[in-house]
Amino acid sequence: MVLRLAHSLGSIVFELCKRLGLVGMFLYESLVALCTTKLKLEKTFQAMHFIGVSSLNVVALIGITGGAVLALQSYIGLHRFGAEQFIGPVIFLSMTREFGPVFTAIMVIGRAGSAITAEIGTMRITEQIDALQTLCLDTRQFLIVPRIVAGTLIMPFLSIWCTLFGVLAGYITSVFILNINSEVYLESIRTNAQLSDITSGLAKSAVFGFLLTLISTYKGFYTRGGAKGVGLATTESVVSANVTIFIANYILTSLMFS
Amino acid sequence: MIELIGLKKSFGTKHVTKDLSLKINTGEFLAIIGRSGEGKSVLLKQIIGLIEPDSGKIIINGMDLMSLKGKGREKIFKECGYVFQFAALLDSITIFENIALYHLEHGISAKEIKPLVIEKIKSVGLSTDVLDKHPDELSGGMKKRVGLARTLMMTPKILIYDEPTTGLDPITTRLIHELMLETHKKFNTTTIVISHDVEVFKYATHVAMLHEGKIIYKGETHSIWEEQNPYIYQFIRGLAEGPIQNAT
Repeated sequence: MVLRLAHSLGSIVFELCKRLGLVGMFLYESLVALCTTKLKLEKTFQAMHFIGVSSLNVVALIGITGGAVLALQSYIGLHRFGAEQFIGPVIFLSMTREFGPVFTAIMVIGRAGSAITAEIGTMRITEQIDALQTLCLDTRQFLIVPRIVAGTLIMPFLSIWCTLFGVLAGYITSVFILNINSEVYLESIRTNAQLSDITSGLAKSAVFGFLLTLISTYKGFYTRGGAKGVGLATTESVVSANVTIFIANYILTSLMFS
Repeated sequence: MIELIGLKKSFGTKHVTKDLSLKINTGEFLAIIGRSGEGKSVLLKQIIGLIEPDSGKIIINGMDLMSLKGKGREKIFKECGYVFQFAALLDSITIFENIALYHLEHGISAKEIKPLVIEKIKSVGLSTDVLDKHPDELSGGMKKRVGLARTLMMTPKILIYDEPTTGLDPITTRLIHELMLETHKKFNTTTIVISHDVEVFKYATHVAMLHEGKIIYKGETHSIWEEQNPYIYQFIRGLAEGPIQNAT
């Protein structure tokens, strides 16, 4: 019984170490490719367009609904303490520091991350990646690096976009539905907001962008097992990226808090 | 010359190549035959570096591949061209971009490389009309020709074909075989083709048979028909009766 338990536990730890090692090697080789070869600018801009520009609508929509809900929920709590005038900073700080980066990351994982895994995974199972290798082309520089660079660079902009719509929706909800004074809403934001609220959110977004593209490309690159394998890799990619983002969010928030 | 010495490769508990040794002389047109699932593709992918053998040596033109790294390996691989079973064309780009991929990725402009692409596409018997198309607009046979044209852009000294006639009709099969022979002669390459189609004997100078992870025969094409080894005898004649089990 004890032996069986130890065996199961050992297998889990072994598998976890193996996976982390593989991701580590993948990251190391990608960084080597980034540092030793010329970055494919055209591919990077294409990836930025795919991850960023194509996600603008959905990110704006998430920002609007998030900001509006935040206004309604915050109002309930603040009203109990007679602190409705602070609804502006609550929405602003929540959107810049937390919801903007996290909402954006979740949407980008679902929209672009899954597509990246499926695309690279299909290339793997149809031997297109092998073909690149036989042509002596650096597959990391061709497929991975531009996407990771693009994700890291474009995510802060997407987060600003989400935050902008969130704060705007919060303003509209607060002023036109909850009858908060417009001047009070804006003035309280001006008084309480700090530059670090914005920069910490942007730093988080960049880290999220890096992590989600790293996981999406990694899962795609090591896809095995035909069409079913592509589906499985895509699912794993979305789940792993989401879990990683939430864990990273806690770690980053703790670091920034301290 | 290519020399494989004591190659071993396993996937989990399945031993695909077992202490395999084979010598391929420069200028040979070698057909490697064997049943489906015998590991023919795995063998070729070890030569081209797509799969690392567990042990053994791969010597290409006197250089031990296993002891080489980075640029040294790349230099060897540049001399080897690999034509994939289903062409493995990048489906998101045009045929022109597929053929010129290596050069475009190394900063050579499309305008500069176009004459060479036209020369190669013509050498595989296709018209230049296909250059602006995408792979999904071509037939299986055309894709294989494009795959060959892409490989020829690297001017390889060793050409490796992975079951080039799988899924093709008899006429296209013959055309692909003739194209392989023509390319072999025109570019003076060492050619290795894996197939389970004995039709390839008409074009190859040598034949090797892979059975249970080992090369059990290597010789000139014409002499294989005189071979009395029961495995070879059964396989090349396509007999249901014989020592090869599960011959369905």
